[in-house]
Amino acid sequence: MTTIANLPPGLIMIFGALLLPLFARRAQPWLVLALSVASLILFVLTPAGEYGNIGLFGGELNLVRIDHFSRPFGIVFHLAAIVSAIYALHVQDTRQHVSGVMYAGAAIGAVCAGDLLTLFVFWELTAISSVFLIWASDSERSYQAGMRYLIIQVTSGVLLLSGAIVQFVETGSLTFTSFVDESGGLGLAGRLVLCAFGIKCAFPLLHNWLQDSYPKATVTGTVFLSAFTTKLAVYSLIRGFAGFEPLILVGCTMTLFPIVFAVIENDLRRVLAYSLNNQLGFMVVGVGIGTELAINGTVAHAFCHIIYKSLLFMSMGAVLYRVGTTKATELGGLHKSMPWTTTFCMIGAGAISGFPLLSGFVSKSMIISAAAEQHMLGVWIVLLIASAGVMEHSGIKIPFFAFFAHDSGKRPKEAPLNMLIAMGIAAAGCIVLGIAYPLLYALLPHEVDYHPYTVTHVVTQLQLLMFACLAFVVLIKTGLYPEEKRATVLDTDWFYRVAIPNVVSLARTAVVKTDGAIRSIFVTGLNEFLAKVDDGFNEKGLLGRTWSTNTMTFWASVLLAASLLVYYF
Amino acid sequence: MTQHKPPTDPSWFEKPQNVRNIIIALVVVCAALALADLFYDNPHPHFDIESSFAFQAWFGFVTFVVIVFLGRLLRMIVSRPEDYYHDNDC
Repeated sequence: MTTIANLPPGLIMIFGALLLPLFARRAQPWLVLALSVASLILFVLTPAGEYGNIGLFGGELNLVRIDHFSRPFGIVFHLAAIVSAIYALHVQDTRQHVSGVMYAGAAIGAVCAGDLLTLFVFWELTAISSVFLIWASDSERSYQAGMRYLIIQVTSGVLLLSGAIVQFVETGSLTFTSFVDESGGLGLAGRLVLCAFGIKCAFPLLHNWLQDSYPKATVTGTVFLSAFTTKLAVYSLIRGFAGFEPLILVGCTMTLFPIVFAVIENDLRRVLAYSLNNQLGFMVVGVGIGTELAINGTVAHAFCHIIYKSLLFMSMGAVLYRVGTTKATELGGLHKSMPWTTTFCMIGAGAISGFPLLSGFVSKSMIISAAAEQHMLGVWIVLLIASAGVMEHSGIKIPFFAFFAHDSGKRPKEAPLNMLIAMGIAAAGCIVLGIAYPLLYALLPHEVDYHPYTVTHVVTQLQLLMFACLAFVVLIKTGLYPEEKRATVLDTDWFYRVAIPNVVSLARTAVVKTDGAIRSIFVTGLNEFLAKVDDGFNEKGLLGRTWSTNTMTFWASVLLAASLLVYYF
Repeated sequence: MTQHKPPTDPSWFEKPQNVRNIIIALVVVCAALALADLFYDNPHPHFDIESSFAFQAWFGFVTFVVIVFLGRLLRMIVSRPEDYYHDNDC
């Protein structure tokens, strides 16, 4: 066990992924499942501690660090990998299986990395392995989106590496600990690493890779993607930046702006991507507050979030698989032929909205309470607004427009059995975590003294959610709720997909024109010169015209005289 | 939503009678939740506003409406035709 413990958790998933192509296609998805389960068993059996300490270039690496922070993330990452593997059992595409399980393994290795260099290696591996889940959609737009995703993710890794190098030069240590100094500020290393984490965590203005790429991945790929990258970033923020106050403002912004975008977005998988952004905001606020309750809340929320978000992406994936689209304008009335998917989706929607007895209720409230306990009225209000926003886009919009609303007349078959089983497991997870919450609280980093099911909390939360439902009914009945419209919603990706290419193309035109002008001046000059030369050598020119014999004789005599003179001296 | 014809095979959720009952139930639940505020005391209020009558109820309602209207406003600014990026092949 000790030898195995020295190897990063998730490593068998990574190496197993490389061997997958050697097996028959039909065996591959089952092997992915087996690898994930085996890795989970190994991970659970490994006692907490630091393993795999090796010296490298004068620095000390710590490949494996399992403690109260990495344990809950490691467990939920494994669970997500297992559920996603079951969801993908019907897929006969080697690429997706290899990249899916390698990606999950890399994310697990990353949350157990004790030093920045190991973190960097797994950080980049998550980027490189996951892009194939986007490319596997096999379309031009998914290829383009994958390229954008890869560039952004690799940039994040480069920033992380730069931060690690600065850290090593300044302190001589690569250990991954808090970057926040006593005064609450950050050094250069901290700033670089925060940028790296910020990109992966989809901070405002750095967020749009998420909405751009996730909805373009394959049906099963999006489920994998939704679980790991951003929550790895949340884990890293907890580890490196807990209590860094500016994060509160960042998190508040993240909870707010996506809810407005989600109202008008037509593609329901993109709605879920905005919703993911909003949920990350809660976690970033928790990291920023940094108290024990806030950190517990952040870890708990990440744990619950991975499960209900996977569930929601799985339900929309099932719709995409059966109908071929997740555009709200094309859907509606699917509950008639997909009752199980509808039920599971509604459980996920209830969990993300924070209905009592479901997982979101016991986790999100810890972060909101942490803000209240610090008497941050503004933050508390923002988080309430964000909670109502979650109810709007994930609680109501997703299930309502996909499965109810107007009848689209489509009667697709129910999702395949393996998808239903995966969704059923995730839905059961949402309910179990909501009811048997002490199981979750036992996993949290700090001792928990928090009771979610108080009369006040249950009543006020239900007030918020049910009156939001009431508002929805009023708006629908009065026709004030905006109709779903086929449209592209611009976001910050517009800057690098349209604005920057336009500026570049303008600049290129300018360069081409300037270059052309210089060339034409040169060519004109050259032509004029050549014309003059031509004038001299043509039959009328000074040098080209036919000379008389006398002149020839005269110049020949001059030349002979000159050479004679040269000869004498 | 109003321009769509009623489905030929309405399910339980689509029968107008049931829809009306669901809405009535929702209104009753909301009223009960608001009134519930009269019957308990928040033992640890952190802010004054928390203790005011049915605060999260009206806050949830108003926030929802504001978010939706902000969405309508945002749509005027950032909504473009579907093939705006010329990559609409899904």
